[in-house]
Formats: sequence, structure tokens, C-alpha cells
Amino acid sequence: MSGTKRMRGIALSLALAGLAACGNTGPDEGGSGPISVLAQTAAGTIASARATRTAAPARTPQQAAAEALRVNPGPLIQVGFEGLGRTQVLALAGQNGAMRTYMTPSEEAVILRNGMLVGTRGLGRDLSVAEPGTEGLIRAGQGGRATRVMRYLSGDGLERPLQFDCTTAPGPKPGVIIETCEGHGATFQNNFLVQNGQIPVSRQWAGPGLGYVTIQTLRP
Amino acid sequence: MRRPRLIRQLMATTLPVAMLVGSGTGIAVADPMLARNMSSYGMPGGIDTPTAEMLPDGTLGATLSWSDYARRGNVFFQALPRLTTVLRYARVDGINDYRDEGYISDRSLDLRLQVVDEQGWRPAVAVGLQDFLGTGVYSGEYIVATRNVTPAVRASVGLGWGVLAGKPRVIDVTDEGGTPNVDQWFSGGAKPFASVSWQVNDKLNLTAEYSHDRYFARYSDGNEYQQGDEPGSKFNFGASYRFGRNYEAGIYTIGGETIGAQFTIALNPRDAAFPSGLESAPAPVRPRPAPAQDPEGWSGSWAQDPTAQPAIQTALADAMADDGVRLEAMALGATQAEVRIRNRRYVSQAEAIGRTARLMTRALPPSVETFVITSTSDGVPTSSVTLRRSDVERLENTEAGRIAAASSLTDAPARVPGLVQTDDIYPRFRWSIKPYLELGIFSAEDGLTHEVGAEARASYEIMPGLIATGALRQRAFGDIGQRGPGIPGERGEYYTPEEYEANPELETTPQGVPRVRSDTRMYTGNSSPVIPELTLAWYAKATPAIYTRVTVGLLERAYGGISTEALWKPANSQLAFGAEVNRVRKRDFDQLFDFRDYEVTTGHVSAYYEFTQGFTAQLDVGRYLAGDEGATVTLTREFANGWQVGAYATKTNLSAEEFGEGSFDKGITLSIPLGWATGQATRDRVSTELRSLSRDGGSRLDVTGRLYDRVRESHTVDLYEGWGRFWR
Repeated sequence: MSGTKRMRGIALSLALAGLAACGNTGPDEGGSGPISVLAQTAAGTIASARATRTAAPARTPQQAAAEALRVNPGPLIQVGFEGLGRTQVLALAGQNGAMRTYMTPSEEAVILRNGMLVGTRGLGRDLSVAEPGTEGLIRAGQGGRATRVMRYLSGDGLERPLQFDCTTAPGPKPGVIIETCEGHGATFQNNFLVQNGQIPVSRQWAGPGLGYVTIQTLRP
Repeated sequence: MRRPRLIRQLMATTLPVAMLVGSGTGIAVADPMLARNMSSYGMPGGIDTPTAEMLPDGTLGATLSWSDYARRGNVFFQALPRLTTVLRYARVDGINDYRDEGYISDRSLDLRLQVVDEQGWRPAVAVGLQDFLGTGVYSGEYIVATRNVTPAVRASVGLGWGVLAGKPRVIDVTDEGGTPNVDQWFSGGAKPFASVSWQVNDKLNLTAEYSHDRYFARYSDGNEYQQGDEPGSKFNFGASYRFGRNYEAGIYTIGGETIGAQFTIALNPRDAAFPSGLESAPAPVRPRPAPAQDPEGWSGSWAQDPTAQPAIQTALADAMADDGVRLEAMALGATQAEVRIRNRRYVSQAEAIGRTARLMTRALPPSVETFVITSTSDGVPTSSVTLRRSDVERLENTEAGRIAAASSLTDAPARVPGLVQTDDIYPRFRWSIKPYLELGIFSAEDGLTHEVGAEARASYEIMPGLIATGALRQRAFGDIGQRGPGIPGERGEYYTPEEYEANPELETTPQGVPRVRSDTRMYTGNSSPVIPELTLAWYAKATPAIYTRVTVGLLERAYGGISTEALWKPANSQLAFGAEVNRVRKRDFDQLFDFRDYEVTTGHVSAYYEFTQGFTAQLDVGRYLAGDEGATVTLTREFANGWQVGAYATKTNLSAEEFGEGSFDKGITLSIPLGWATGQATRDRVSTELRSLSRDGGSRLDVTGRLYDRVRESHTVDLYEGWGRFWR
């Protein structure tokens, strides 16, 4: 496997570049220079790629959910990030009124308000905040029209809104509400399973960077 | 009521959503007509001819092109949505100068302004100046119109002067260059040019053009040169291929016989790898319990307990340290807490403040309703953001503008009563040993040069604001050697280091200008250890809006002495004034503790202004290192993500002859935060400066720690531009 060898070669030289530097400065104390930061980033990428490759056979989402329920006594959700191609269990990290922040063990967060997606953090192309004008319609299980604003940090560092015109309508399955949104040349569809005003299962569009997320309440 | 309006402007949530999400998502983009391929001159265009196309606003990149006519390195920047600029370093083949090498090295600058964009039947129209500083090999002007004929085919027709009309201007061999020759613009007769480009698919573009360029150069001493072979026809053909989001490669023929190739890399500040960053999610706000559940906490009686503050301060400092923010000091009362923080990790100060505010909700007893978060830089407080805790609880994870409007920004006094320094922060000793790499990229004479070695660096923060810094370098290998300055009158020849050191008179040019920078190569190539920097700096503030700095020691590679500075910059002011006075002596070439004879007092008064649209302007007036007097104008475009692209020009009372080639000092500065490329939260950045030439006139002392950039990060414009990251 020459590819593996080359990979090892790169990793080795990057490790040397990392080792060659010493001192008592922390990672945030700057001055480490572009080369060492890029080397660290690349080394981290390789290390994580290798970790994925050598990891134990992937558990099914069901197995992961069962284990999380066994280990963690608190509220849990399971989120499938379709754009990232992974499914993870998140535990409640904090609650502010109806807004709940769930986090993965590596401190990526999904923020929900009674099941409606409000934001994500730590995923690189996060949803800063969603302002779904359709929330009342969805919870009431009603059809109607409303505006949904989704705010994102753009590449140049500003928080920018995308505004969508949305309609809600009951879906083909009982209890499911479908929200169809359109704007800026894009369309997306959110699906909510509504039970007594709560949303135990949903598939919601988080944004152009993340795509859809499926959210399932494991333990409310 | 000026501030909320300013906040609204800066938060800029009404800006077009263009480029928010990159291409390919079908989200409408509102830029003017955008380039599909680059010309061999590093501009949107055909092969040699220009078009009226633009690049996405803010695009920064480079096009390298090779042919038998020239090798060109073009650095381009879309300075405004309708203004493209190019700085070009070319090796023009076929021309002999004093070096007699069969080519010349030439720098040139182009501008293109799109006057109108394509609309309905009307084409986009642009005017441009090519190589417009002085008369150069590529000098020419044009007016060009470009229109889409079909969605895939685009046609351009224009009128060109100078080189573009095949009528190269006579180059004055005595001219030092660098100043615009306005009287020659759009003169000497015009000829038409045209190009057609066909976008075959997403990646492949085919271009054909009709060009009058003869690749001919005429000099005032009567010499005439044909660069390469005279083109056999006026038709050129090219193909370019785009790969990835940032790269383009192309091949082309000029006149059917000469073949060329080119490669382009283009970066757009809006196109970050991970716009929201990969740093971990912030700890969420912890709302306070109901008063009935924590009557003691709500009563404020805990504040009487002397053990309360130390325990809270330690816990908060630890939590903040995990988030890359240092808690320097804290004043804790029953209803108000002030924390003094140093942001070590985030490009946006607002992110550090937002994370601190959330951690305060988790650490402080319920009776504390007012949060004062004071940013510090080098131990000196720079501004205070005051928040009501109930607003932090109420507005968590909402549009960032709402918490901005609910907060207030004020100047921070040097001392406040009750402030307790966090344990174990001072004194603080830091050291590191690392390899270093120094690159000389844009020297026309030398090409690419490098030096590799090891650098030991240490800093000792004795108390807030008092910092000793030192560095020691040992070169390992490289080809940046020691060399004297160029011998006057014998271009291309240099004094040897021994010759130069032996004769002190050589340290003044024949025109009487002290050599303050033109002998900078004497400081390179030392095989023994050198001390690039060894200073003691004291930062303080005299009043809440006046900052001061005193730095003594070996200030930079070539000068040591004392540097003093004062800056007036209220936190809510877009305007600032500064003054700097330095008394320095030239260091010896071995870069240890010896000095040479030259000693000078330099100083400037400066005015700074931050516009709300991402531009900052700076004017410095004063005396420069060579004792010359004059002014520097700097204009910088900045993005909230930390990108900075600036240009400056310095004119002093040295004449163009005394200054030498280029006539006056000018240059471009680029600075890109690493996090923009990697997604990691870090304040490290890649910075470079493209100076036209290293000359003695208009040179400034290169002292670290100048106040303005350190202070304004937490002040009105900079802080609010990055405020979108408050809840990040």
C-alpha cells in the first residue's frame, strides 16, 4: 500500500515539524506561525482519518441510542446530520426557558425549542438562529403561510439572514405536518411529527452548509 | 442615539445574501458580470485583451503566466465591486538593459473600473489603465464592452491605446518611474480589439481574440526591442480549465506560433472553509433559579462572605481558560460584576465577550444583575461592554443585533475599586524554540530566496502592561546572503560586505541620503546567532481614552533605542489621533549589542478613521528614518472575518532622484487569518507586505506593539463588525 506509506511519511514529517518546536506557550498564545498551525491541522486531519479507518466496526444508530440511554440518565436526542453523513446522540447541556441545548461528547451543539431547530454550534457551517414564523401553525397542526428567517455566519464574518416564504400543510401520514419553504432560488421541506404540541421526531433543513438534520427524541 | 444606528449599520444584516453559501446552491448572487477566465495579465479577460468583466467582490489571487514573451506574476484584488486592481511582476524577454541578460524585470500596476453593468440589451462597459505608473513596457488604456450573446457565449469589443493599439509608448530611460503620466493616457491613436469566450461546460472555457499588441518596446535612447517573435497574426486562441473552487489552468497561442501557459489561484474572503468555525460550542446560559429557591443568592448577603469572591473567581477563570479567554481581574459586588479579560483565541472580540457573558451566568450568584466585561490588550483595559444579565438570559441564541442593542460600550478606566487580580497570572514567563523560514518572494533581482534556522523566543510579563521580550536566531541554511547595497551608477553591481564595512562614507548615498534601509541585506546571512529583538515595553493609559506605550531596547533588526507613542481613541469614536516619537541608533550588522554611528529622531502624528463599510484610512505626517519629512496615506479594506488588504504611499521631501527607482515609497499589505482557511479558532494570521522597492526615503521604524490595532479591536467599528459571533 504505497498510499498508506506516503500517508505515514507525511504524518511523520509533520510530527517532526511539531516536535521540533518546544516551549511552554499554550495553543492560544499565538506566534506559532502559519507553518506549524497548518502542520497541526493537517496532522489532526490525518490522525482523525486514521482513527476513523481503524475504529471498531460502526455501531448502528439503534445500538448507539441504546447505550446512551443506559449510560446517561438525562434527556437525550439522536440527530442524523445528512450533510455530514453521521448520526450522533446528544445529551442535554443546558435549558433556558423552552430552549434546550444538546451537545455531543466533542461539544458540538444542537439547539431546540420544543423540538423546533433553533441553531447549531461547532459544526463549521452552523445555523446561527432560526426564526420560524410557522412555529405556531406547526404546533397547532394547521395549514397556513408564514415567513421563516434563518441566520448564518457568512464567510466574511457577518451574521446574515435568509428569508423564506413557507406554507404548512398536514402530511400524508396522520400527525405529520409538512412545512414547504421557498426563497433565494432554493426550496426545502421540513417534516414534523406533532404530538400534544411536542415534536418527538422531525426532519428539518438546517441550511445550505449542513443540509437536513433528522432529530429523534430518545428521552424527553 | 448615534450608537444604535451605527450598530445597525455595522451588523449589516440587510446586506445582500450573495455569497453567503458559496456557489452551486442556487442562491441568487448580485455581483456585476463576473469573469469566467483570467487573461495572461491577471485580469478578467481574453488572452492578452481586457474585457468589462469583474471578479467577485474582495477576491484576492494571483495569476502566473509563461510564454516566450514574458513570465508574469500578477497579484489581483477586487478592491470594490466595480474596481479591479493588479500588481504585476514581469520578466520581459527580449529586452536588454544594463544587466545584459536578455530580459528585464518590470513591475506594473493596472486598474479597471466597470462603468455600467450588463442590463437588457446594454453590455457591461469598463475603462482601464494598464501599467499606468510611469511609462512601461505594458502601458496602455482601453474602453471595453462585454455582453452575453447566449448563456454560454460572451463577446467583448473595445478600443485600445498604447500597447493595446500596437503603438507602444517611448520609455524614458532617465525616468525613475512610479508616477502616473496622465498626459499620455488615451493618446497616440486607438485601435479596436475583440474577444469571444465560450463556456463549454462548468470547467472548460475556450477563448479567441483579436489583438494589436506587437510585443515591441521603444526606449528614449533609441533602442528598440522585439519581445520574443513578432506575432504572425492578430488572432490568439486559448483554453482554460477550472478545478476545485479556487484554481484555473490555461494554455494559449499568441499569433499562432508562440505558446503560453498560465495558472491562477483565487481566494475570496467570503468563501471561508468553515464560516462559523470549528471551535466547540459555547456553554449555554444558565438561567437563575426563582428567588424562592435561592433566597440567599438573590439577597446579595453572600457578598459579605470574604471567601465568596476567591472561590467564584477561580471557578470562572478556569472555565474561561478552557474557552481561550484569560480572566485577568475581577471586581465582584452584590449586584454588579466586572471582569477584565484577555482574548487569546478568537478573531472577533465579540465572541470572547459572548462566551464570557454566558460563563458569568453559570458562575455568579443570582443577585448579580449587571455584567461589565472589560477587554484588555497587553494588560491595559481598552473598553467595557455592559450587559444586563436578564438580557443575556432573554436573548440567548437570538439575532446578534438584539443583544448589541441591549448592551452599552464605554471607555474603561485604568483602575476601578474592588478589582482583584486573578492568582498566578503575573508574573508570566513564556518561552519557545521553533524553526523559522524566511522567504524573499518579490525581489526582481534575486528571484525566490530563503533562509531556514531556529528561533528561541521568550517573553516575561512582569506586571500588567510591563513586558520584556527577546528573540535569538541561529541560521541553519539558505541563500539570503550578506551583501552591500547597489553601487550607484553601476546598476546590478553591489558592494561586498567587506568593502561596505571598511568605508563609512558608503553609508550615505552620493545624493546625501543616509542608507537607512537600502543596506538591509547587510543584516542577513549571519552564520552566528543574532538578536532580532530584545525589548522592554510598558503599556498604560493616562485617561480612559488615552493610551501610551514606551518601548526600549533593540527594537528591530536594524535599529535600537527608545520608541514612545500616545493614542487618543474613545471606544465609541470612529476617529483616533496618535503621536509617536522615537530616538534610535542604527545597529551593527552582526545584530548583537553594538551600534553604528547613525542616530536619528523620527516621529509622526497620525489620524485614523474607520469607515462603516469595511475601510480604514490612516494619515501619518512626520519625519522618517533618513531624516526626510513627509506623509504616508494608508487605505485598508477589512472584512469582519479578519481579512485585511491595504495599500499605502509615502511621499517625503526627498526628490525622485534622491529616492531612486520608483520615485516614492508605496506598497501593499495583505493579512489573512489562519482560521479563515482552517476553521480552527486562532488569532494567528498570515501577513505579507509587497513593497515596490526597499529604499531609504519614507522608511519607518519597524517597532512591534503599535497601539492602534491593539486598542480598536474592542472598539466601536471593529467590535460591532464581528458582533455576529457573540452567540458563537
